[in-house]
Amino acid sequence: MNNVIDYVPGTTVLHRLNPVVKLVLAAAIIAATLLANSWFALVGLLVLTLALGAYAGTLSRLKGLLAMLIPVALIMLILQVIFVRTGEPVLVVATTNGLATGGRACLRLIGIALPLVLVLTVTRLTDLANACVEVLHLPYRYAFTFTTALRFVPVFTQEMQAIMEAQTARGVEFDTRNPFKKLSLMLPICIPLLVTSVGKTDAAALAAEQRGFYLRTRESSYKRYPITALDFAALAFCAMLVVLGIVM
Amino acid sequence: MEPIIELDRVSFTYADADVCCLRDITLAIDEGTFVGIIGPSGAGKTTLTHVCSGAVPHHFSGKFFGAARVAGMDTCTVSLTDIARVVGSVLQDIDAQMVASVVEDELLFGLENFGVAHDQIEARISGAFDAIGIADLRQREIATLSGGQKQKVAIAAILALEPRVLVLDEPTAALDPVSARMVFEVLRTINQTRGITVVIVEQAVALLSEFCNRVIVLDQGTVALDGTPHEVFAHAEQLRRIGVDVPRTARISNSLATAGLIPTCEPCLNVDEAYKLVSSLINPQKSGARTSNVHQPIDDERGRSPHAPRVELNASPVVEVRNVSFSYANGGAAVHDLELHVAPGEIVGIVGQNGAGKTTLTKLLNGLLKPERGTVAIAGNDTNTTPVSTIARHAATLFQNPDRQLCRNTVLEEVAFGLELQGVSSTEAQRRAQAVIERFGLPANEAPFSLSRGQRQMVALASVVVMEPQVVILDEPTSGLDYRECMTVMETVRDMAQNGSAVVLVCHDMEVVSDFAQRVVVMAQGRILGTMPTHEAFRNTQLMEAAHIAPPQVIALSERLSRGVSPTFAGIAEVSHLVGHVMELVRHE
Repeated sequence: MNNVIDYVPGTTVLHRLNPVVKLVLAAAIIAATLLANSWFALVGLLVLTLALGAYAGTLSRLKGLLAMLIPVALIMLILQVIFVRTGEPVLVVATTNGLATGGRACLRLIGIALPLVLVLTVTRLTDLANACVEVLHLPYRYAFTFTTALRFVPVFTQEMQAIMEAQTARGVEFDTRNPFKKLSLMLPICIPLLVTSVGKTDAAALAAEQRGFYLRTRESSYKRYPITALDFAALAFCAMLVVLGIVM
Repeated sequence: MEPIIELDRVSFTYADADVCCLRDITLAIDEGTFVGIIGPSGAGKTTLTHVCSGAVPHHFSGKFFGAARVAGMDTCTVSLTDIARVVGSVLQDIDAQMVASVVEDELLFGLENFGVAHDQIEARISGAFDAIGIADLRQREIATLSGGQKQKVAIAAILALEPRVLVLDEPTAALDPVSARMVFEVLRTINQTRGITVVIVEQAVALLSEFCNRVIVLDQGTVALDGTPHEVFAHAEQLRRIGVDVPRTARISNSLATAGLIPTCEPCLNVDEAYKLVSSLINPQKSGARTSNVHQPIDDERGRSPHAPRVELNASPVVEVRNVSFSYANGGAAVHDLELHVAPGEIVGIVGQNGAGKTTLTKLLNGLLKPERGTVAIAGNDTNTTPVSTIARHAATLFQNPDRQLCRNTVLEEVAFGLELQGVSSTEAQRRAQAVIERFGLPANEAPFSLSRGQRQMVALASVVVMEPQVVILDEPTSGLDYRECMTVMETVRDMAQNGSAVVLVCHDMEVVSDFAQRVVVMAQGRILGTMPTHEAFRNTQLMEAAHIAPPQVIALSERLSRGVSPTFAGIAEVSHLVGHVMELVRHE
């Protein structure tokens, strides 16, 4: 089973960058997306993210994410079109301003989600945690909490699926077409999921402690994460993106 | 030599519990031994492993009395981390134990934390991989591994830390017999070559008796028996009272001793020992010559499962699987050309290794998966055109993990829930649920999640029984249960079959399949290799090897005896029949 955020192995420049620099890159693309106002810049940033994904071989994951995001983005567009009442009327309730702000909101939503996922697909979680500890001097327990949370996403997804299957086989009508009914049926499932997850996190904490979690320091990591010339080049590129975002 | 683990009158009560979990336990484990711990559920097995690994009292709070010493350190006065340098532990829940997404990083984690010099790390990692035999998994994503592979990675990650003791809590509960045996073989290797002490909780007595040199039986928080496997399994009567199984071969030798044919001696723990014992009792030439005089038990009688329900099998099948194929979009156990018919009142076992497609088959039966080719019909309803919730009215499924099934606040609501979903009125549903709950002796007003694992399984089973379904689908109903719970579950299933339900039983425990199923479906690599009467299948050596299944001990023994001692042993599948036959042969000499 593949999850959107699973690591895709590779040796591209994007894979070889320092994990912290990759985070900075994602942050830069996001910042530029928030700052930029022109259509050209917004679409350009999106194309840049997709191009990077294609280069690193994770385009299929990004496409999967897009399929999930586009409906949400469209809902946002419709809401904006209905509520923004300034500008020239275009069609029925739509106005020029409504379409413009709605369109931008759409592009921004997608432009913010994609870079983060891109970074996660080209970075091993352990590397990300270790690099944050070494380069950013982040306390290991925070890095560990963050990566463990991400690691549990597929575990809980599987658990949720198994629970839904078990309940369906009992006769709970998850195959109903009524979304409200489905939602009300899903609530009782939260109990088994919660019980399992509390048990799992407790076991995870014990297992980590029994493997010397509290002894870990900044020097513990076997791999080192130096900032190389390549990383400096990438950082310069990030700075340029942000500046372009402000200007455009 | 000082023992590596020493418990001195240890008692422990969990903070949120009223009853004592361990009482006054005194025991010493010498370095280099391979110790098995067994006992009914709730006996305190997991807690005992926690005491050895320091999780009690450091991680789980409660009242701790007495003293536990690990390598001379009092576990109460040193930190959990210090204990972890000596004792490595593998927990029950493997997914929760993993910290990394790639196998190599999983091993690195502990090594880095304990500050192993970086120039030694590579040697430690490759050493651990070689010892376990999983060097090929090094760069794999953990999420893509099978259960057996994950278990080995977890052991390798602890082994790399070079602990002096390895504590494991039911590491084979979710594995098929072949993978379970491989895990034990790995443990034996590191025990013998590196002298690492192994302490393992396990329910499979056949594995314990083969691999351990000491077995500790726990009962209600105390040590009931302690000794070599031969010493412990000689107490068959006491073990039965406690609720612990003994190897079937030990039952044979114990019965022969009770009958006065052999002096009371060490029990036979495996087929080899039992074969030697029986063949020494019977002179092959004589008995061979006298075969004709020996009363032949009716073949039909000895060949059938002792507990299997007696029913007419002429009724038309309620489960019809015709030429079914299915494959998952993203990989996974695909199945091809499945053909299966089950009549009301019949128990059909599905056996095969992990990944053979057994679970896929059960999901095709309850409609969770739709066949790509062919048809599946449950009580005449084609699963392709009938919604799963409608199929659920005819076919009830008991899943391996009861926790995925339970979702109500009380046991009563839980058991009545399925009926209510079918549109039975609430009062009527509660009345029927109450009747079943009383029969099972379950606490009707407790929350299901506050019960023990075995009792939760019984609640899940009760909610299947109350439906009075035409078809019952069981996916590993006995895993994680102790011997007594296992028997209760299976006897209930047999009663349901006798009342006319068709039962499809997926099970790794060949003894259970041999005892309860009339027919078995042998699967391997997504195909059915054969469908035939249970004992005929287990006697078919070629078929068993093709599916990587070890036949139950009694059948393996009678097959060997029929070849080497007397052909009259052929087809015997039960302890009492085999013992009876030996007595007859001896009397004729």
